[in-house]
Amino acid sequence: MPEAPLVLAASTAPPKRRRAAAPALVIFGMAWLMLMLAVAVLADVIAPYAYTALDLRNRLSPPILFGGTWIHPLGTDELGRDVLSRLIYSIRTSLLIAFGATIIGAAVGTSLGFLAAHFRGLVEQAVLALVDFSASLPFLILALAVLAFFGNSLGLLVCLLGLHAWERYARIARGLALAAGAQGYAAAVRGLGASPWRIYGRHVLPNIASTLIVSMTLAFPEVILLESGLSFLGLGVQPPETSLGSMVGYGREYLTRAPWILLTPASVIVLTTLSVSLIGDWLRDGLDPTLR
Amino acid sequence: MKPGGALLEAEGLVRRYAMRRGIMGRAVEVRAVDGVSLKLERGRTLGLVGESGCGKSTTGRLVLGMETPDAGRVSFEGATMPQPGSAAWRKLRARMQMVFQDPLGALDRRLPIATQVAEPLDIHNIGAVSERAARVEALLRAVGLRPDQGALYPHELSGGQRQRAVLARALATDPALLVCDEPISALDVSIQAQVMNLLLDLQEQFGTSMLFVSHDLRAVRQVSHRVAVMYLGRIVEEGEPDAVLHDPAHPYTRALVSAIPHPGRMGQRMVLQGDPPNPADRPSGCAFHPRCPVANSLCAREAPVLKPRADGRLIACHVAHGEVAAGHGFTGQEAA
Amino acid sequence: MLRFIASRLARAALTIAMVVTFAFIVLRLSGDPAQIIMGADAPPEAVDAFRTAWGLDEPIWVQYFSYFWAILQGDLGRSMRDGRDAIVLVTERIPATLALTLPALAIKICLGIPAGIYAALHRNSLADRVVMIIAVAGFTVPSFVLGLLLVLLFAVQLGWLPSGGQESWRHGILPVITLGLGGAAVLARFTRSAMLEVLGQPFIRTASAKGVPWHAVVTGHALPNAAIPTVTIIGFMVGSLIAGAVVVESVFSWPGVGRLLVVAVANRDLAVVQCILLLVAITMVCANLIVDLLYGLLDPRLRAAPGKAA
Repeated sequence: MPEAPLVLAASTAPPKRRRAAAPALVIFGMAWLMLMLAVAVLADVIAPYAYTALDLRNRLSPPILFGGTWIHPLGTDELGRDVLSRLIYSIRTSLLIAFGATIIGAAVGTSLGFLAAHFRGLVEQAVLALVDFSASLPFLILALAVLAFFGNSLGLLVCLLGLHAWERYARIARGLALAAGAQGYAAAVRGLGASPWRIYGRHVLPNIASTLIVSMTLAFPEVILLESGLSFLGLGVQPPETSLGSMVGYGREYLTRAPWILLTPASVIVLTTLSVSLIGDWLRDGLDPTLR
Repeated sequence: MKPGGALLEAEGLVRRYAMRRGIMGRAVEVRAVDGVSLKLERGRTLGLVGESGCGKSTTGRLVLGMETPDAGRVSFEGATMPQPGSAAWRKLRARMQMVFQDPLGALDRRLPIATQVAEPLDIHNIGAVSERAARVEALLRAVGLRPDQGALYPHELSGGQRQRAVLARALATDPALLVCDEPISALDVSIQAQVMNLLLDLQEQFGTSMLFVSHDLRAVRQVSHRVAVMYLGRIVEEGEPDAVLHDPAHPYTRALVSAIPHPGRMGQRMVLQGDPPNPADRPSGCAFHPRCPVANSLCAREAPVLKPRADGRLIACHVAHGEVAAGHGFTGQEAA
Repeated sequence: MLRFIASRLARAALTIAMVVTFAFIVLRLSGDPAQIIMGADAPPEAVDAFRTAWGLDEPIWVQYFSYFWAILQGDLGRSMRDGRDAIVLVTERIPATLALTLPALAIKICLGIPAGIYAALHRNSLADRVVMIIAVAGFTVPSFVLGLLLVLLFAVQLGWLPSGGQESWRHGILPVITLGLGGAAVLARFTRSAMLEVLGQPFIRTASAKGVPWHAVVTGHALPNAAIPTVTIIGFMVGSLIAGAVVVESVFSWPGVGRLLVVAVANRDLAVVQCILLLVAITMVCANLIVDLLYGLLDPRLRAAPGKAA
């Protein structure tokens, strides 16, 4: 090739080396995610104590590595509650919220995107105006405002976080449905006399599912971060329920005396978002190069 | 079903599109189809020929009711076309079907062929569920596919096989009308003839009427009982295929015919001058006059009407009708 | 170009109108606005007076327009906690927030963009790997974790810097670094992928095949083109100047707008929340507007045919 060597290096060399490096990290990510899912599902079985159980004789006892005992492998907090047990239940809560919210976001966004693509005209303009509106406000501010107006509950929190990335799904679903309707299979199936339900449910949705799943994988860590941020501020998950973010927020008070209360949930947050991001990036590169 | 009797009639179809230049830009009106009338008899084939952008595909979609005309009306089996998307319209799809230029795009790549061929039967609830597998098998055989190929996915078939699958799907409900929009232009030349022959066989077997839309005059001639030539949204000539091909009357048809490669007729090719037609900037008078070698001053002022010549051929040309002597055209100079 | 600016202005106005509408709807859905704005223990006469003043006994659409009108006049209600005008309460916190977000923005731009460009130009080098690892970490480590880790290290362990408060400029160092690092990582990742995309384009290869020196290809062709998507992200960061430090201000007990917002939300001080919401929306919309106009400068195609900008 007659190009300058630097261009060659930039354009042709990378993919192979990158593919070779990715899977190890991705496998780690998948393993970690599996572990988290197992912990969430089996929380009741594997947690050594109830997450509210107090052990007043062992308050602020350190984890094993810091000279603690096997009674509380990851130490205890100010009230003597077992950090490991709280961590396990927090993982369950955080994952549940993140999954619920991601699915709600995908469902709402995809439906609105399809509506826009199907009806065009006013409906489409309305959906696009809503997309503009969502993009114009930092989501955290919007979420805080809604929580201020409506107070807090777990259901509201999940629905609220579900609105987080809806506009992305809406954009994708609308764009792909329009493309499918313009000349492709969707137009053909419409010509067969199929109802809109059939066209979108049986044909368009399965065809764009991979793109949507990749988007969900990319949005999932953001939802975890949002939830933990809100909970850290004391505005997300409310006690006695516990989530990873609220554990960090609570542990912050004991930063100097008992940093493990904070460090364990913080590292779980980081590892989980990192794992899902790695998987998401890998899926995007492999399945869907059109997404950025 | 015996041939004869009008299955489909279209009168004065007009389809305009608003083309905007920029979000706030002024909308420019484009007349993709500008007053097309046509009539299709049962069991017959009408060929529609023209360059890309002449409105022939839009005409096909209007006739099928996929789009609503801005003026004019379409009647199918004596009834007016219902509103697109309505229940009556959806029901009517069982009677009229479309075959596309790009068979891969027209098939859902996530479903096996047999499922897709069976889909019209599911949609219109035709026949008992238990009999559908047999019906699909028969359809696949009819279009020259093996029943076991029904288990394959679209990307596992060749281009010609995919078009056969699309045909099988289109024929599943035993429609009275088939609109074929450039059905062979995406196929290899060697496959084109097979698909053309298949269309002829199927018409004989099922008695389906066809509207055959193509830019290829020879292909149209091979399958059609009548042929209509379109230029910039209007029909400029219509008649028997052989007659039109051997004795084209409109200068544009003549140019199309001379563009067909012919072993014994070297050097006689008439090459069209001037810019290719732009529907957004329609010339005055006869839309063809800036490219016409025999255009006269009348042609630039007044649009010719499509009317029959003595032998019954429909032509829209001042010169061909003898209303004015042949001029020397406007090619090479600024169009009026 | 004029028409382009006009259409952008119209869109910006529409978005702000939607935010006001959103606030109105949410306010109405959440209960009796008079009671909420005035507070539960307000005397009934005051609530009634408020009702008449705000026309809450009028039909809903009249209320909507008078609400709109009040906001246009800058009347955003009073804080339920100390009875002062919400707008005053919020604006007096803005300097403190800007004292964090402006230096942090400088860090993001000065660190993130060069790092991203360097990583893209030396793709797969050690430097690229390091930049990318830091960038991914910057995305996956939430700002409150980063902030607390910095406190643990520099305040608790080393004792070099204070852990919270706003007494001196030294108190600002950790929050600024926390904000800056996270944003720089995002910007580096974004700049890198924008650069890589541009470098893969045919016109870059053409330019270098024609014999244009590589540094000229980069500065003359690649950078201006990669700048277009990057400007969007920076626009978002500029738009977040007022409310982009909610979490970090809470970590470091920094008395800015974000801290005010969190406290207001916890106390359901709706007038203040609504005021911040509108202020943030206006800043964001203005920043987007500037970005859109900058696009016009960076991309001559958009000047000629604004339709393609959508």
